[in-house]
Amino acid sequence: MLFTQTYQVARDDYANAGKVSSLIKNLLKQLGINPNLLRRIAVACYEAEINMIIHAYGGHIDLIIDEEKIKLVFEDSGPGIADVEKALTEGYSTADTRAREMGFGAGMGLPNIRRVSDEFDLKTSPDGTRITLGFNL
Amino acid sequence: MSVITCNLHQCVRCMRCLKVCPMEAITIKNERATISSKKCIDCGLCIEACHHQGLQAKGSTLAELNNYEKTILLVPTSTYASCKDIKEARTLLRAIEKIGFDQVVNLSEYEGAVAGKVEEYLNTYPSNLLISSFCPVVNHLIEQKYPMLISNLMPFDYPGELAARDLRKKYDNEKTGIFLLCECPSKLALTRYPYGKEKSAIDHAIPMVDLFPMMNQLRSEEESFFELCKPGIELVSDTIDSRLKKECLAVDGFDKVCKALELAEFGLLKEVRYLSLSACNNGCIGGQFLWGNSFNGKINMRELIKTAHQPMYECSFDELYSEETADAIDAMPNIFEQLNRFKNVNEKLEALPGFDCGACGYPSCRTMAEAITDGICTLQQCRVLERQVKK
Repeated sequence: MLFTQTYQVARDDYANAGKVSSLIKNLLKQLGINPNLLRRIAVACYEAEINMIIHAYGGHIDLIIDEEKIKLVFEDSGPGIADVEKALTEGYSTADTRAREMGFGAGMGLPNIRRVSDEFDLKTSPDGTRITLGFNL
Repeated sequence: MSVITCNLHQCVRCMRCLKVCPMEAITIKNERATISSKKCIDCGLCIEACHHQGLQAKGSTLAELNNYEKTILLVPTSTYASCKDIKEARTLLRAIEKIGFDQVVNLSEYEGAVAGKVEEYLNTYPSNLLISSFCPVVNHLIEQKYPMLISNLMPFDYPGELAARDLRKKYDNEKTGIFLLCECPSKLALTRYPYGKEKSAIDHAIPMVDLFPMMNQLRSEEESFFELCKPGIELVSDTIDSRLKKECLAVDGFDKVCKALELAEFGLLKEVRYLSLSACNNGCIGGQFLWGNSFNGKINMRELIKTAHQPMYECSFDELYSEETADAIDAMPNIFEQLNRFKNVNEKLEALPGFDCGACGYPSCRTMAEAITDGICTLQQCRVLERQVKK
């Protein structure tokens, strides 16, 4: 492991939604990572961060860089995803009205995240959800 | 690639420029502001921030006219931002013609032709977000800070460049000098450091302010007939006709542009097909070298657009590209080397107070930490730490 950093995401903090993703994006930019790879990471990271804010009660994001890949781990102690299969279907959303009014909750989050990442692992239970994403360098 | 220089006699080392530079390109070394040519994108924010005329962007002067047998001046539409109606614009053109160039060419037609092509291009590539490439500041900003969006930049040249290439076809000899009247520092940079190619078709760039006193003197009731072109006006005043193109968004002003690019990187501008970006407030008519103010200019442009016509000049796609535009992604640095450097910088950064006060001459603690890592400066140069040690 060459580098790790942990970022906290606050619960219901819509005003700061996307700030952690910005930090991660800018850090990776400084490292001179290929723009196309970075674009995928940015999209996935943003979607997952928003999910944490809308559906869970906040949580933390770990950025891990090793020789072969960049890993992102999103861990929350939210209510979990009731139906993983449905959640991975495009257009399916459980977001509440408030979130939708703010432009979130189009039901593209998880499908998008899975589409842009090289590795996708989702573990969920009523005590929380953990998504691990891998991007090959 | 900076055209901005520091005037040692005027500089009082107030650090305004240091703080305002969005690229952290300015450091104060040996009691004077130094601008990193590599980082500077010629946005001119430092010139605006300077209260002492310590920073200036210099272009060519009229003395260059003597080096050519035939001289042509290209006049961008934004020049007419101070004119209330087409009559005033015509007297201004007459004054410009009297300055001494053999031929004066309005860029309006070319700007209009390019704008028309933008629309065609949008229809050809229907799925991606496209970003306008006419503001050199925005091009360099994307290249340096938003590399993910380089592939979204339209590969079109600045209309002035297109006009110069077109004129070169007619007067192809070295004794013809093509001059560009510039509304902002980044246009000055265009001729000296053309984007993505070796040589610009424009020979010299002259800041508009330099010619203004002369134009003012020469201006009379006398008119020179010409007409402005509608899409050309839209291009320089950043007002895309939204009735026609509802997925097009014009964004002006440096901060707003950054915000839009930031969102575009996350793929969040889903409704937008075409982003027309201009680093100056109110578009090119807000350029630093223009007189008057761009808010009045906007009103004037609204009036002028009523009498403007559709472009007559037609160009093909081939003419819009220069050979190597937007082919600027350098060989990517090794991630692991960069990561090591990043860790080193972070270590140094922890020792620094983190106020970004600028007293050391670097714009932020991070830039100082980078300089320490590179061995250019030492921790002892930090004024805040120095005070703490004394206590």
